[in-house]
Amino acid sequence: MSDVSKVILLVEDSPDDVALTLRAFKRSHVMNTIAVARDGIEALDFLFARGTHADRAGVPLPTLIILDLKLPKLDGLGVLKAIRADDRTRFLPVVILTSSKEEQDLISGYSLGANSYVRKPVDFVEFTEAVRVLGIYWLMMNQSPPENSP
Amino acid sequence: MKISTKGRLATTTALATIGLIAGMIWWANQEVEDASSRRRQTTELARGLTELRLVTFEYMLHRHERPREQERQVSSRLARLIEATPFTGAAQGEVVAHLREQSAAAHRVFEELVAAPVADGVNEANDESIRRFEAQLSSRLLILQQESLADAFRLTDFSTERIDAAQRRVAIVTLAGLVLIALTTSGAAWLIHRKVLAPIAKLEQATREVAAGNWNYKLAIASNDEIGEMSRNFDAMTHSLRMSFAQIERSNQELAALNQEIEAFSYSVSHDLRGPLRSMDGFSQALLEDYGDKLDEEAKDSLQRIRAASQRMGRLIDELLGLSRVTRAELTLKPVNLSEVAREIAESLAQQQPTRAVQWKIEEGLTVHADKALIQIAMQNLLENAWKFTSKTDQPVIRVGALERDGKKECFVADNGVGFDMAYADRLFGAFQRLHHESEFPGTGIGLAIVQRIFRRHAGRIWVQAKPGLGATFFFQLKEQGHE
Repeated sequence: MSDVSKVILLVEDSPDDVALTLRAFKRSHVMNTIAVARDGIEALDFLFARGTHADRAGVPLPTLIILDLKLPKLDGLGVLKAIRADDRTRFLPVVILTSSKEEQDLISGYSLGANSYVRKPVDFVEFTEAVRVLGIYWLMMNQSPPENSP
Repeated sequence: MKISTKGRLATTTALATIGLIAGMIWWANQEVEDASSRRRQTTELARGLTELRLVTFEYMLHRHERPREQERQVSSRLARLIEATPFTGAAQGEVVAHLREQSAAAHRVFEELVAAPVADGVNEANDESIRRFEAQLSSRLLILQQESLADAFRLTDFSTERIDAAQRRVAIVTLAGLVLIALTTSGAAWLIHRKVLAPIAKLEQATREVAAGNWNYKLAIASNDEIGEMSRNFDAMTHSLRMSFAQIERSNQELAALNQEIEAFSYSVSHDLRGPLRSMDGFSQALLEDYGDKLDEEAKDSLQRIRAASQRMGRLIDELLGLSRVTRAELTLKPVNLSEVAREIAESLAQQQPTRAVQWKIEEGLTVHADKALIQIAMQNLLENAWKFTSKTDQPVIRVGALERDGKKECFVADNGVGFDMAYADRLFGAFQRLHHESEFPGTGIGLAIVQRIFRRHAGRIWVQAKPGLGATFFFQLKEQGHE
């Protein structure tokens, strides 16, 4: 369906949600590698090859980051801020996928530079559909910025 | 001393002084009148004395009987006048006594002169002695009369002096009184300035300070009069204002803290409660998808029920959050075209269920003064309800309009749907209250709670009239424009 060498980074602390998201991707035939970070710090370590992910030095960055807002250690908005502050990652597509539909979260998410804001529906059928559309759009339709853009 | 007491004192002093001056003038008038009448009497006396001298001369010249008789009359009149002369003081009394004596003496000398023999030219020597005696008597008489006249003039002088003294006294008292009035007036003016105007200026400054929000301003005028009393009351007032203000401040802080708690709670509800629901729904679905062929119908039905329940709870959570959002939302009041809002909702409902033929009767030009976003939510709920509860009616009609009752404008949303028993009307607006089974008419039972909260936030109200089988009419009233 898409270029499977592209990696998706899923930042999500709930194991259930991780399982459901992975299942939804699988059912939508998104075959890309999906890396999972369980908190905000781990997500940044993964992106910037630090700490437990120091061995990732030189490995290309993920194509898409799916970011939950409520995370241990550093929350989703903090992660987003750090991503947008770093030259290496400032153009990375970040989709916020969260339970919250609080207006405040939406405004903060977009003003910090989120590319999309998707609310996790309770209904798994709807959830699968949302994940499928996300995959199609960001992995197939969307043209990423050049690798070494400033 | 109180200002009113001081004022009364000043007024009393001024009035007493004026009374004193008036009394003095009256007294002087009496004195002058009295002295004048005495002067008239003494003048009369002097005139009588002069007349007496004239008749005496006349008698001495002609020795006629008429002047002699006249002398007697004038003398007795003078004696009466002298007796009638009133005197005050020893000096005057002395003069009057002297006058009386002299006059009597003069009369006696005159009688002697009358009795004296007259020269007849027969005996020269005798005539000579008679003439000498006569001349002696005449000169004594003249001296006595002259002295009497002098006494009369002295009496006149006494009266004149009295008049002068009275006038002098009046002048002095008037002057002193005027000085006293001047002093009282300036004293009163000083008092008014020092004890009234200056404190009032301070008070005015204090009210300005307090109005500007300086609750700690203290007037502290320590005087014992009315202004002091007012100052103490003023300070007590600012003190209690300060206390109430602090109390309000504290309440506000508590409210803000409470609000923050609600905010945090809503956030948690929105985030944490939905996670487990998602898992329940998701994994039930996973079971159905992965093991559907191994499950019997009952097991599949149970899984479907788990999914349906999870989803319903998800909706409940969402609606509860909606209710809390309505409570927290900031109101922006402006004129809202209610007819337009209703029309848009009607169109979207018709679009969602194009198979239903509902007759909409929306009155034109309905305007309310409200927060547009909240009024949209309220109308959405009301019209969705009307739409939903007319779904089993043959010819459904939904009306939106306004009417006047007791001079106040009321808007309404009316339907001819299933209606309900008014016995349950008071339960209708509570959260999670339903008057129909969910299998009949789906819903969470929170919509009308949201609607009521929206009207309460606008300081308005909503009520309902309904009959089973005949439909329901929701009336609502918003405060008149400009009085929010």
